[in-house]
Amino acid sequence: MRKRLLSILLSAALMCALLSGCGNGADGNSTGGGGADSAGAEKTAGEQGQNSVVVALDPNSEPEAGFDPAYGWGAGEHVHEPLIQSTLTVTNPDLTIGYDLATDYSVSEDGLTWTVTIRDDVKFTDGEPLTAADVAFTYNTVKESSSVNDFTMMDSAEAADDTTVIFHMNRPFSIWPYTMAVVGIVPEHAYDSATYGSNPIGSGRYILKQWDRGQQVILEANPDYYGDAPQMEQVTILFMEEDAAFLAAQAGQVDVAYTSATYSDQTIDGYSLASYASVDNRGFNLPAVSAGTDEEGRTVGNDFTSDVLVRRAINIGIDRQEMIDNVLNGYGTPAYSICDQLPWYNDASEVEYDPEGAAALLDEAGWVMGDDGIREKDGEKAELNLLYSTGDSVRQALAADFADQLGELGISCTIEGVGWDTAYDRALSEPLLWGWGAHSPMELYNIYHTIEGTGSAEYSPYSNETVDSYMDQALASTDLEESYSLWQQAQWNGTTGVTQDGDIPWVWLVNIDHLYWVRDGLQVAEQKIHPHGHGWSLVNNVDQWSWG
Amino acid sequence: MSVKRKMNRRQSTLIFLAAATLFLACVTAAGILLEDRALETDFSRINLAPCLRYPFGTDWMGRDMFMRTFAGLSLSIRIGVLTAAVSAVTALLLGTAAAVLGKKADVVISWVTDLVMGIPHILLVMLISIACGRGFAGIVAGVSLSHWPSLARVIRGEVIQLKEAPYILAAEKLGVSKLANVRRHMIPHLLPQFLTGTILLFPHAILHEASVTFLGFGLSSEQPAIGVILSESMQYLTTGRWWLALFPGLALVAVVVIFALLGERVRMLLDPSSVHE
Repeated sequence: MRKRLLSILLSAALMCALLSGCGNGADGNSTGGGGADSAGAEKTAGEQGQNSVVVALDPNSEPEAGFDPAYGWGAGEHVHEPLIQSTLTVTNPDLTIGYDLATDYSVSEDGLTWTVTIRDDVKFTDGEPLTAADVAFTYNTVKESSSVNDFTMMDSAEAADDTTVIFHMNRPFSIWPYTMAVVGIVPEHAYDSATYGSNPIGSGRYILKQWDRGQQVILEANPDYYGDAPQMEQVTILFMEEDAAFLAAQAGQVDVAYTSATYSDQTIDGYSLASYASVDNRGFNLPAVSAGTDEEGRTVGNDFTSDVLVRRAINIGIDRQEMIDNVLNGYGTPAYSICDQLPWYNDASEVEYDPEGAAALLDEAGWVMGDDGIREKDGEKAELNLLYSTGDSVRQALAADFADQLGELGISCTIEGVGWDTAYDRALSEPLLWGWGAHSPMELYNIYHTIEGTGSAEYSPYSNETVDSYMDQALASTDLEESYSLWQQAQWNGTTGVTQDGDIPWVWLVNIDHLYWVRDGLQVAEQKIHPHGHGWSLVNNVDQWSWG
Repeated sequence: MSVKRKMNRRQSTLIFLAAATLFLACVTAAGILLEDRALETDFSRINLAPCLRYPFGTDWMGRDMFMRTFAGLSLSIRIGVLTAAVSAVTALLLGTAAAVLGKKADVVISWVTDLVMGIPHILLVMLISIACGRGFAGIVAGVSLSHWPSLARVIRGEVIQLKEAPYILAAEKLGVSKLANVRRHMIPHLLPQFLTGTILLFPHAILHEASVTFLGFGLSSEQPAIGVILSESMQYLTTGRWWLALFPGLALVAVVVIFALLGERVRMLLDPSSVHE
């Protein structure tokens, strides 16, 4: 322990000396707020009682615009339960739909009108009752101002009476209940978009007691909550870099600390490593059309991956388990689709690792093994440049492992880190390592459905009318259960789809387990399969955690 | 009398110069040759502590840190060379122009020099690097376009002083042409300052390149650059993988120190006031 500390200090001193030698401005960024974070941790560790918990999360999970659903709280890029506010519906552990504020909902035959009835016994924490007018106000506000989530399918919301709210839709949207599960209801009488984010009033399980930007959030149980009283009366969320979170757990300052596979071979006295399954997947897009240029001058398509046989070969030529063992230290599951194990997942997506089969497919496509171990066709070498978002070490390692494995198949790969400023455009012609995974089938639509007017899906050139029509039918369906099967058929209907036997425009690699150091004695309630984003999802049900 | 005399200072300095230059050249060449092996990942040998086979250990993707360090140093030195070349030429042109072309030019050039000097180096390097599309080109542009002002100032000062020097004035009166005057009388005087200044740009350039890539504004993370290596290693310090930061860090310091010494010795050799010491 002392040795390790010494080595850390020495190395840190070396780094500081190196950086300060060449200019100012460097040190502030590099050591990133660790000092401030641990100060916060010490304070809260002192207050720790039987009914409180201190959780260290990634600094990126701190909501920049505050706890306002209109600016992405809960309903942003990474969806989770808003805790401070109530939602109409909730997602059950198996990701079917349950009720929170709602007592019932129905949709009209044409799918254009949703009618939701809500409880009449709910009060905001300022004592005012929550009515259908607040719900309508929330949705209209969110539609107006949300820049992070898509609400274009909704036209307007109106309150029919105190407990009935009606949503008028622009187009049928059968998975609306999944949207209703992430939008927190704000009070119409006390909502000011300028201040609500830092001073939210809701009706949820917790009240925001204190928020020190860049450091911590303290939540306190709502004494007037209409549901089961939260068992954890105080929840403190600390925002820390991964190494700071690890050190904080080592020092016993936090009860739960997020971590990653990098640290998974370490042990901390008094803590155990908890691993939660996720649909936080990583996969490459394989541009499915030949190279060309679009009207904006961007290169679109890739001559190598435009051959479906090549894409199929890549999909079965990848040993996903090896990747999990190598890169994730075993903490992950093979991924075969964007939505593994969710109710709308089609298990026809699953494939076996089959290097001979992959080689045969490449031979069939005309890519013959050359003398140098690289396949050739008509004098062209089989080459791919794989992109990953620079600075993400897990993605970098996955890309490198993927490149190594393709190398064994005779495809010569280089990897290149890119920033998100250019990644979207470059992914139109080169495979990029993406991360997806949400509690909504809408993701299938987002990556596979053709965009009107462009003739191609949004992130990677691809289009299949049959796939499109299943997804359109799924959205138009009036029955959620029935729509699941349509979503499944969009993936594979027996003759076409996006799986191995279909067009396989994306190859999915792994679902990354979310890892946490958990103090012995803390019972973390059963977790829903975690979506993309290693953040607030963990504390979705913090009210049910207990010390025992 | 005594047969064996110790080498005199001049000889030892020359030998040091040759050795240092050779060493740096070797590192540069080796790095270029090793670049492919530095990029190689092999997941069967991840996180190895330094051993005979991998003297600097391996990282979390099984890359040989020895290869990576050398490739990184080589990249740094190459960036340093380019930077020094661009900066030296810019500084020489602007410095002389400011001194020779008259008052208005001098005001403008001095103003630009002060302006560039007034912006913190790191910030300027990052801005230019991003504007030029990051990557190798961005870094080279950023570092080389921000390092000329100090040298330009020195040159300008020297030229202004020289113009009024009695021997130059005398030569002019004797009818020596302007060009010949510059060539025969001014350049020999300027050369030591200029060369020393140029060589001393190297450590600056290398450290700035390393810090900008460390902050993530330069080369992308699969490239073997010292800054990239050091910033990656930060993640692994808490788990006790000290070798990821220590050796590359020491190597960087060593190269910078060698350049600094080199500049110092060159000055001693060329500067008339110390050349006979």
